[in-house]
Amino acid sequence: MAKFSRRKFLFATGWIAGGVTALYLLRNRATAVAPTIIFPDAASGAAWLQIRPDGNCRMLFPRMDMGQNANTGLAQIAAEELNIQAHDIEGVVPSTNQVPPFAVTAGSMSLTAFSRPVAIAAATLREHLRARAATKLNVPLSAVFDARGGFTTADQRTLGYADLVDQTDVMVDIDADQPLPKLYSFDSTRVKQQVGHNVSPLGIRGLVTGAPVYSADVPITDVLYGRVVQPPVRNARIAGLDTSGIDAVQGFIRLVHDGDFVGVVCKTPSAVDAAMAKVRVTWDLQQPINQNAIDQLVDVDAALAEGELKHVLQDNAHRKDVEWQVDLRFDVQVQSHAAQEPRAAIARFNSQGPHRLEIWTGTQDPFGINRFASMDTGLSEDEVVVHPQRMGGGFGGREHYEVERDAVRLARAMNQPVKVQWTRADEFTAGRNRPASTHRLRIAADADGNLSDWWYAYVTGYVTFARERLPNWLLPVVRLGDDMGVVKGALAPYAASHQRVECKDVDLPVDLGVWRSLNGAPAIFAIESAMDELAVQLDVEPVAFKIAQMQGDQPRLQGCLEKVQVLSAKRTLPQGAGYGRGFAAGIYDGRCFVAVSADVYIDPQSQQIKVLHMCCAQDVGLAVNPDQLRAQIESNLAWSIGMALLEKLEVGNDDIQSSNFDNYSIPRMADMPSLDIEVIDQPNIPSTGAGEVALVAGPPAIANAIRKASGFRPLRLPITYADVAAG
Amino acid sequence: MKLKVNGAEYEVAADWYNESLLMVLREHLGLTGSRFSCGIGQCGACVVHLDGAPVNSCLIPVQDVADKDVLTIEGLASADGTLHPLQQSWIDENVPQCGFCQSGQIMQALALLNNTPDPSDADIDQAMSENLCRCGTYDRIRKAIKTAAPKLWEAV
Repeated sequence: MAKFSRRKFLFATGWIAGGVTALYLLRNRATAVAPTIIFPDAASGAAWLQIRPDGNCRMLFPRMDMGQNANTGLAQIAAEELNIQAHDIEGVVPSTNQVPPFAVTAGSMSLTAFSRPVAIAAATLREHLRARAATKLNVPLSAVFDARGGFTTADQRTLGYADLVDQTDVMVDIDADQPLPKLYSFDSTRVKQQVGHNVSPLGIRGLVTGAPVYSADVPITDVLYGRVVQPPVRNARIAGLDTSGIDAVQGFIRLVHDGDFVGVVCKTPSAVDAAMAKVRVTWDLQQPINQNAIDQLVDVDAALAEGELKHVLQDNAHRKDVEWQVDLRFDVQVQSHAAQEPRAAIARFNSQGPHRLEIWTGTQDPFGINRFASMDTGLSEDEVVVHPQRMGGGFGGREHYEVERDAVRLARAMNQPVKVQWTRADEFTAGRNRPASTHRLRIAADADGNLSDWWYAYVTGYVTFARERLPNWLLPVVRLGDDMGVVKGALAPYAASHQRVECKDVDLPVDLGVWRSLNGAPAIFAIESAMDELAVQLDVEPVAFKIAQMQGDQPRLQGCLEKVQVLSAKRTLPQGAGYGRGFAAGIYDGRCFVAVSADVYIDPQSQQIKVLHMCCAQDVGLAVNPDQLRAQIESNLAWSIGMALLEKLEVGNDDIQSSNFDNYSIPRMADMPSLDIEVIDQPNIPSTGAGEVALVAGPPAIANAIRKASGFRPLRLPITYADVAAG
Repeated sequence: MKLKVNGAEYEVAADWYNESLLMVLREHLGLTGSRFSCGIGQCGACVVHLDGAPVNSCLIPVQDVADKDVLTIEGLASADGTLHPLQQSWIDENVPQCGFCQSGQIMQALALLNNTPDPSDADIDQAMSENLCRCGTYDRIRKAIKTAAPKLWEAV
């Protein structure tokens, strides 16, 4: 990107008001129809930080916050480089007109992708200021030492950043051709002040005092309230519409109906409820929606009976006809995100000023929303501005132009600002779900008890190539390739001479998309359950067996398993019928390593499966903020309990039956076991991310514990007490 | 119609008489700290106190509370900005992740501690069972309640 346009952005934000700014630049733009996938590097990025004339640091926060607190970690890195404290940094969450586009916040990539560019920008800024200090003090550069918030000399002449920065605007470009300044954050010999410390999340005070931080909290003058009828699947067409009686609803203003879009606008929220009750839509669904249809579409055995599956991910001297010691099929159901915040957006059209349309929304991809709103309205991208707000949970489900579309279309029809708050039922009906999948895993061992043959086949709904996530004309083309969500987790860390992994991805009659860990959790549930079952068949201890079958190729995963074994041994499993301890390990996205143990009790009195205790060891690379990493692991363990024991989107006859927390269960306080978590810090290895990692190992650890406790091998998620009791 | 929230009196306009207490707090009075999440009293994100007792404000018609004292999350900290011991414990334990449920969690925990100064794990499980947290911060909520409990009574 040319220097000119960067200056344009800086002016647009009022960023330029004196001080020294370090920039890192951008790669090429994303295509218009895909999520924004631009990641920064040293010479090309999209964030900057600045030392202002008062010596304070201001930083653009490039990550959309939904609880993972990635920006706190990035502020710690900037602070480490600048010898200040993370909480001294003023963070700015940019609107889309204020910065060049940056990548969608997804895939546990934030620290992996952004920590180094942020460190380089901060260190470059520091060295620029050091040169100023040397000039000012009239000493060589080598005589200027770091001090808290500035520099000092051997004879204790000290300059703070405020002494070195004035009202003149200076931009320091990062030159990829120059040698890098020393990066303190990644120097394993340095005694660090910020990186590796448990810095409290920036903004936490607002979260415990009820501050207005979510999109529905934004006060907009003269706002009206709207809602749109959500179809059970997004390609459904309206076949019939009956709105009789709606005009009598007190506070009702207008019905907006255009093609398959129908919504209402009212003066108050309860008027919206009343008006929506008068809107009766009959849908032409394009396909039947029911559980049976889903089950048939993802039936791996039926698919294998027809021959080779669509995508062969691995094929090493595959042998079809061997005597399989393990030959099991695992079934995983559709799951919803069920984020605590139902999504909301406010849209306003302006008759004056450069921005014809403003949107306030919590989204993982503000630039994606900007592009889609531009396409939807015919306005140019520069005429649309998205003001991103904090999300009350994202988990992969907040990437698309959905509630924003509702607000934009209603606001345009009214020529007045409109707020759309999805109901909980809207979330279950129109959210994008983790697909159902079935997995056939066959394993054979040789006479020495080592893996000889491995054949893993599975069928799943699409993830990143799901219908309506990309334009219809593009889908057949991209679907020839591998869906990166579908293939996640498929390759096992275990070595066998004969190995084949194949899969088929299919369309399902429910809306699909990215769910925490994508296919990682379903695939690794199957793999780790099957390996555990083989260990049972061979009468060997499963952890040692798994480590042996890695054949030394997975030292980081092995380290996690060994550590979690030590952690779990700290607590004695109660003796007696119904108690069991299980283990599982997994690699998320080829770069994140984790092992989990679970202690369960199968209680015949209450007819419940209780998870009593869980341990987790996760190798995170450089641990920038161990406590926040631990928090992400806790969250993943809670989700593991939900996935293993509770959650299933109920699909009825041509509709989605799950509508609220009374018919879609998520873990509650009493479901949460005691936890023992160890974050394995590897200061010399880049941070790997943690947002969706432990979820790959938690469900199979619980399933393996149930096997140990009862002799019953769970093959279907969620696992119920009735399944276990029936054996 | 008047409404007494956090010790202050507010006038409710006639257009808003048919709303829930939650929607009046959020959309009419601008007190957005109580959150809308399920709308049917199943998740606890909207918990406020009515005359000292916790309620799901999404289920309460505003007309029913005209003569009652409403306490919301915005009313917990002192006027000088000093946080309530529960809020401080929530920060000390770094409880919030996405944060969306935490207003309701804190208000529910306050109700628990008002009645049970030294709660056991079972008391906490029982009292907090209707407050959902999709991020799964339950372990930290439990810890924060326990660390806040003695401070709450010192403060009195």
